[in-house]
Amino acid sequence: MKRSPEAQDLLPLTPVVLHILLALADGRRDESDDSPGRHGYAVAQEVEEMTEGQIRMGPGTLYGSIQRMLTSALIEEVMRPRGGARQSPATDDERRRYYRLTPLGQRVLELELARLARVVSVARAKHLLRGLEPA
Amino acid sequence: MQSTTTRMPRRDFPELCFTALLACYPPSFRARFGVEMQGFFRARRAEARHRHGYRGVARLWWHLVIDVLSSAPVEWLHLLTSRAEALHADEVDVPWSSPFYLDREETMDAVRQDLRFALRTLRSRPAFTFIAVLTLALGIGATTAIFSVVNAVLLRPLPWPDAKRLVLVWGTRGEDRQVGVVYLDYLDWQKQSRSFDALAVMRGQSVNLTGGDRPERIIGSFITANMFAALGATPVQGRFFTDAETQVGTKQAVAVISDDFWRSHLGGRADVLGRTLVLNGLPFTIVGVTRPETTAPLGTPDVWMPIGFYPNAGDLELRGRPGVLVVGKLKASVSVERAQADLDAIARRLGGEYPATNAGIGVNVQPLVEQIVGPVRTPILVVLGAVAIVLLIACANVANLQLARAAARRRELSVRTALGAGRSRLIRQLLTESLVLSVVGGALGVAIARWGVSLLAAQLAATIPVNGTVGLDAPVLLFAMAVTLGAGILFGSAPAWQYSRADVRDALTVRGDGGASRAARSMLRNVLVAAQIALSVVLLVSAGLLTRSLAALSRVDPGFDASHVLTLQFRLPAAKYPTEGQICAMFTRTLEEMRAVPGVQHAALVRATPLNGNGETFPYYLPGKPLADASKAPTAQLNIVSGDYFATLRIPRLVGRDFTIDDRADAPPVVIVNEQLARRAWPNESPIGKTIRIGGSGAPWATVVGVVGTVKHFRLSEDPLDEAYMPYLQRPLIFTEVVVRAAGDPAAVANSIRAAVWRVDRDQPVWRVRTMNRVLDEARGGPRLTVWLMTGFAMLALVLAAIGVYGVMSYAVARRTQEVGIRMALGARRYQVLAMVLRDGMRTTTLALFIGLAIAALATRLLASQLFGVSATDPLTFTVVPLVLGLIALAACYLPARRASRVDPIVALRAD
Repeated sequence: MKRSPEAQDLLPLTPVVLHILLALADGRRDESDDSPGRHGYAVAQEVEEMTEGQIRMGPGTLYGSIQRMLTSALIEEVMRPRGGARQSPATDDERRRYYRLTPLGQRVLELELARLARVVSVARAKHLLRGLEPA
Repeated sequence: MQSTTTRMPRRDFPELCFTALLACYPPSFRARFGVEMQGFFRARRAEARHRHGYRGVARLWWHLVIDVLSSAPVEWLHLLTSRAEALHADEVDVPWSSPFYLDREETMDAVRQDLRFALRTLRSRPAFTFIAVLTLALGIGATTAIFSVVNAVLLRPLPWPDAKRLVLVWGTRGEDRQVGVVYLDYLDWQKQSRSFDALAVMRGQSVNLTGGDRPERIIGSFITANMFAALGATPVQGRFFTDAETQVGTKQAVAVISDDFWRSHLGGRADVLGRTLVLNGLPFTIVGVTRPETTAPLGTPDVWMPIGFYPNAGDLELRGRPGVLVVGKLKASVSVERAQADLDAIARRLGGEYPATNAGIGVNVQPLVEQIVGPVRTPILVVLGAVAIVLLIACANVANLQLARAAARRRELSVRTALGAGRSRLIRQLLTESLVLSVVGGALGVAIARWGVSLLAAQLAATIPVNGTVGLDAPVLLFAMAVTLGAGILFGSAPAWQYSRADVRDALTVRGDGGASRAARSMLRNVLVAAQIALSVVLLVSAGLLTRSLAALSRVDPGFDASHVLTLQFRLPAAKYPTEGQICAMFTRTLEEMRAVPGVQHAALVRATPLNGNGETFPYYLPGKPLADASKAPTAQLNIVSGDYFATLRIPRLVGRDFTIDDRADAPPVVIVNEQLARRAWPNESPIGKTIRIGGSGAPWATVVGVVGTVKHFRLSEDPLDEAYMPYLQRPLIFTEVVVRAAGDPAAVANSIRAAVWRVDRDQPVWRVRTMNRVLDEARGGPRLTVWLMTGFAMLALVLAAIGVYGVMSYAVARRTQEVGIRMALGARRYQVLAMVLRDGMRTTTLALFIGLAIAALATRLLASQLFGVSATDPLTFTVVPLVLGLIALAACYLPARRASRVDPIVALRAD
């Protein structure tokens, strides 16, 4: 019998998963439950922008991660894009499927960010971040 | 699987390629994400094409392949594990684990165990392991070595910023698409065109450097000031030229030197700016030094000088005297087609303004990358295709070996399952074994590749424009790694896939190798062997055609006798020899000195030795045949020679006389034509005494005094060219080549010939001192490397395929021992058993041969441009290859068949 996953079990996240969650979280904050979600390519582009090109995902990496994030219910598929204001018409496409965070995904992301924040605050206390942060 | 597929837009070739790539994923994954991944691919491709052009697309594919190769195995592993877990879900309590991060310690432990077990298994079967590793090493090694060439030549960006915007602008005349540009035309383009950030001129030419211990020939480039801007170069010291300095007629002799020259000739000293170099007899002031990485298209010069100091600068002031190379940098928003249209319009206007010189003269804008890489792309890709086939055959072989072994191991695996090993664990075990094999093979392959590259590099440097060095750098090693893992998964998935389908619990109860899966397995094995044979046919046919083509090329009669001939060249500095009289006097004295050298039988001057790369084409005119369109005039090679040239190269003199010392400037102009020109200009008439004008309206009418045989001038594969010869005394040029026929070894007189030139002028450098046999060898050498590689790979494929057939037949026979025993007990004769086994083997082989021939007939079309003297569907090759392969397959079947026919029925019946 499988135990159902707890948010805590999923930590730490791989960088790719973390960034996909971050990219999707963006959309959710604005419109709460009625989030329009994003399609795969938009997620990949956003991640690339967020990381200044350090994480450039290929289709295999992206959809492999999406597959497992769907299985573990971190994200879910949205049937149609709603309130399509966030997508530019040029990249919008009926055939594409849209994804958004689930409450579990939201929780996992928060836990991971809290964990990372702790790491950063320890680093700051040890003065390891000098030169990396604005004074 | 959804209705979305019906709405798919029509797919072009790249999309089909990507779809093929997606085949690496499990079908369920494809069904769920395939359409989305297609969409992703389209968006990325549009972005890459828009932002980075051709190279962006190449890079995109590189990333895609790596992405797919690294993510597809993960999907398979997930699928197989989840399937196995589902089967056993009721038996074992499977703890939930994160799909992203496996528990590190647990994973490492399992991996270590798998590895240890895999190594033990492989060690216990040394013969299998040895053959598998060697096969893989050869496949991966050859692929990696060839890929290092692909990487260096085709994938690496050209060494200039925004290189994709660089173009060469040629003139065109009639069929000839690459005529040098007339400087005055260039000035008009420069003024009127709107398409270029920079439109610059260069003229590469060797230059005499004097003032040192001995005269030296260095490579010079005569340019306009904006050349450096076009190349995106900046000086490391000093400055580059100003526009005023590169005006024709300027008196300021300034030079920019290369970093390399600065180090090798000036000791890298700091106070180099302002120093003087004596080049072609003139003092030049050094004003700048380029960066070490600065290079020019078509060869990097030692020293850059203003175009105004080009030795034939007189040509720059005449229309109708082509001679410079134009390099352009397109504006960012302008396409090659737009630039072409822009210059076309200007060329038409010039044609109207100067009909005598510019009528019919067009323009050809060509991307620089095409000029540099274009001619070698097809041969390189053909060889890469060949080596990929070898690798596939190698993978099929190892897959077959694995299948045979997996059958033998069924009971071992079943026992382990019964003892509690999870199914996913066993699949992982099988994949680990495959990966260990491929990694060991890959490591050995890289070693083979290193050795292969060192062999290739020297050969390549002579024949291919390599950008940087060919070697095992990061991209190549990454490629080797991807190929290794890909190969491991390719041949490892067969047994793992089979195992994940079979029901293990049955295997324990049924003895041996039973049931329907046996048929499926022998089917799979036959398919693999058929694929090997078919691929070998393709490779052998290609290699056969190329070999026949090379043989045809080496049978070509160049039209001259290269043995015992030495060739060299030199260029007189115009400043030192300003008049034609001085040039002629120098040449005549040099000829006398050379002929006096002991061991020299003949010596002659020639503007362009055959197959040495030089040559100049002019339109020619016959009296009484005015042409409606000047651009339709036939053209001929014009060669300037001294008397005795034809005797030196033993070019047959068919009628008339040779040039003599009396064919001087003040004598009536004379010309000797080759047989080809004579036949075209005066069919069925004697050409002797006829007149002909070669060159523009300023050229003199000359009388034909002789006809000689036709020689191959640029390439051995060329159709016969019209060629005319004029005596140097009537048409002196400051550049000349020398041919010398020696009684013995021509290389032995090289030093005496050099000394002979220096006795006339001790400041005169000579260069490219080579035997004519070497020149001829090089003319045959380009395709030779391709042929050697193709033949080598074809032989490798043949051996691998033979091993494959033998392995499958041995296995099939061993499996049927019992059946054979029964048949023989029932009275079957030996020859009947033999025939039965052979028939089975040859059925697969014959089918595979036909499939292979069909594929080969399609594939060799790509080769057609590389072939000479043999058609792409050469009947001989297409007959011999299947015959040879068939015979080898027959032999490979015969050995196991004979073993079967010798079976003792009693022993066979008792066998398990």
